[in-house]
Amino acid sequence: MSRLRRFLRIYTPFTRAGIQEAVTYRANFICHLIGEIMSAFIMYFVWKAVFLSSDSESFMGFTMEDMVVYLFITFLTGYLTYSDGAFAVGEEIVDGSIAARMIRPCSFEMCFLFQELGNRIISVSMIFVPMVAGVEIYRFVLCGEIRFNIIYFLLFLLSLVIAYMISFYFNVCYGFMAFFFKNLWGTTLIKETLVGFLSGAIIPLAFLPAGVAAVLNLLPFASLSYTPVMIYMGMYSPAQIALSLGLQIFWLAAMIGISKLVWRSAVKRLAVQGG
Amino acid sequence: MRYIKLHRIFIAQYLKKLMEYKADFTLGAIGLLIAQAFQILFLGIIFSQIPSLRGWQFEQILFIYGFSLISKSLDHLFTDNLWMVGYRIVRKGEFDKYLTRPINTLYHVIAENFCVDAFGEVLSCVLLLGYSIPRLSMPFYWYTIPLWIVSAVFATLIYTSLKIMTAAISFWTKSSGHITHMLYMVNDFSKYPVSIYNRFVQTVITYILPFAFTAYYPASYFLTGENPLFCVGGTVVAGSVLFALAIFVWNKGIGAYESAGS
Repeated sequence: MSRLRRFLRIYTPFTRAGIQEAVTYRANFICHLIGEIMSAFIMYFVWKAVFLSSDSESFMGFTMEDMVVYLFITFLTGYLTYSDGAFAVGEEIVDGSIAARMIRPCSFEMCFLFQELGNRIISVSMIFVPMVAGVEIYRFVLCGEIRFNIIYFLLFLLSLVIAYMISFYFNVCYGFMAFFFKNLWGTTLIKETLVGFLSGAIIPLAFLPAGVAAVLNLLPFASLSYTPVMIYMGMYSPAQIALSLGLQIFWLAAMIGISKLVWRSAVKRLAVQGG
Repeated sequence: MRYIKLHRIFIAQYLKKLMEYKADFTLGAIGLLIAQAFQILFLGIIFSQIPSLRGWQFEQILFIYGFSLISKSLDHLFTDNLWMVGYRIVRKGEFDKYLTRPINTLYHVIAENFCVDAFGEVLSCVLLLGYSIPRLSMPFYWYTIPLWIVSAVFATLIYTSLKIMTAAISFWTKSSGHITHMLYMVNDFSKYPVSIYNRFVQTVITYILPFAFTAYYPASYFLTGENPLFCVGGTVVAGSVLFALAIFVWNKGIGAYESAGS
């Protein structure tokens, strides 16, 4: 218990710094959010046109209602699980300031994690409630009954938190790799496009050929976005939920392990170079 | 004339710099190419289930998409440095440099960078148009090609003017990259037929942030031959008005500029 208290005492200042950062740059923050949310609305109009052009009520098993929930909850999940805190690691390695981190009595990824959590607190408080409420009101207007399910919602929250942690550790690994490339803009674009596709954010995995979808469901990317969204929508049976949450935890453990390995080998490399 | 000569020197300088980082250039271009490829895959999956999207065939949609990349990639290729004005140059006080040179500031900022990443978009554009045009029966007259060139130039001006204006905001506020980003993202609406949007969105992308004139309107004229005055004429008007406005705002901004100092 006292160890936990000590842990929190070390890392909560980072969270406070993250909150302050987000508040200071709130104009940037809001502009960025508006810019990003537009892509969700474009997709909404495209899907509306698709359903108006189609003879049947559903498109590959999705109704228009499902599609809207899918689009906006995917956007929300993607926005909240986005992580680039550890990205600075690459830059710190290049300019050598990482040395200061190695002598501090705290772990480098925890510093980033807690700082980013502060940032997340602001974004959650700004968009989470309006987004979920908007989706639920839309559903209610469209089908005349409340479809909100508290159990699915709580499981979604759990899955969302795990998804964020996977995203964080995945980007810690990426931060180390990025230092080998100079064009961070290009590699990040490639990474985000591939992750967007593999995680089902561009196209629901259910629309892909069965074999491809089955493989993608097992990869860590589905755990980043597709799993929480499917749970929210109530598309998964209890057995499927248990299985996919288990898979999420497995991939989280794997990502933590990989990031530790990468960190260790990077430290070794640094020693050879002389810091 | 002097500026054309200067521009050659600027690009030559830039290409020399580029030769050192060949892999980087390829990465940016590949990234853009992959991003477009997945969008096309998405369209392909949609069209595997429906015959047409609100009356538009798959090839027509691909044509509009490809057409939207002409102006987007040209703007990206030549004026990418404008992003840096809003994100970094003014905030760090680096803008002083441009004021001390005997050439136009706006020209200097733009000419300094030649963004080869944009070749990813150029290539996607060529592939999309090359695939869709032979499969469509589009009307062709002697003036079709001159009109293409006119639309491409003025559509590019729409992008560039918007970037100049929003970059110039930083002369007052020190940093405006996020405003450029927010307005620039609206361009994504222009990749699809305007008829799929509701009235509000249609009005915004036609009259307020006229991105619809960078792609859908001119492209629909080349597809159907209807409404040349509105579709191509509107692109010319929108491009000219925005550009005049952009130059005005930029010059005002230069007047208000105070160095961030160090």
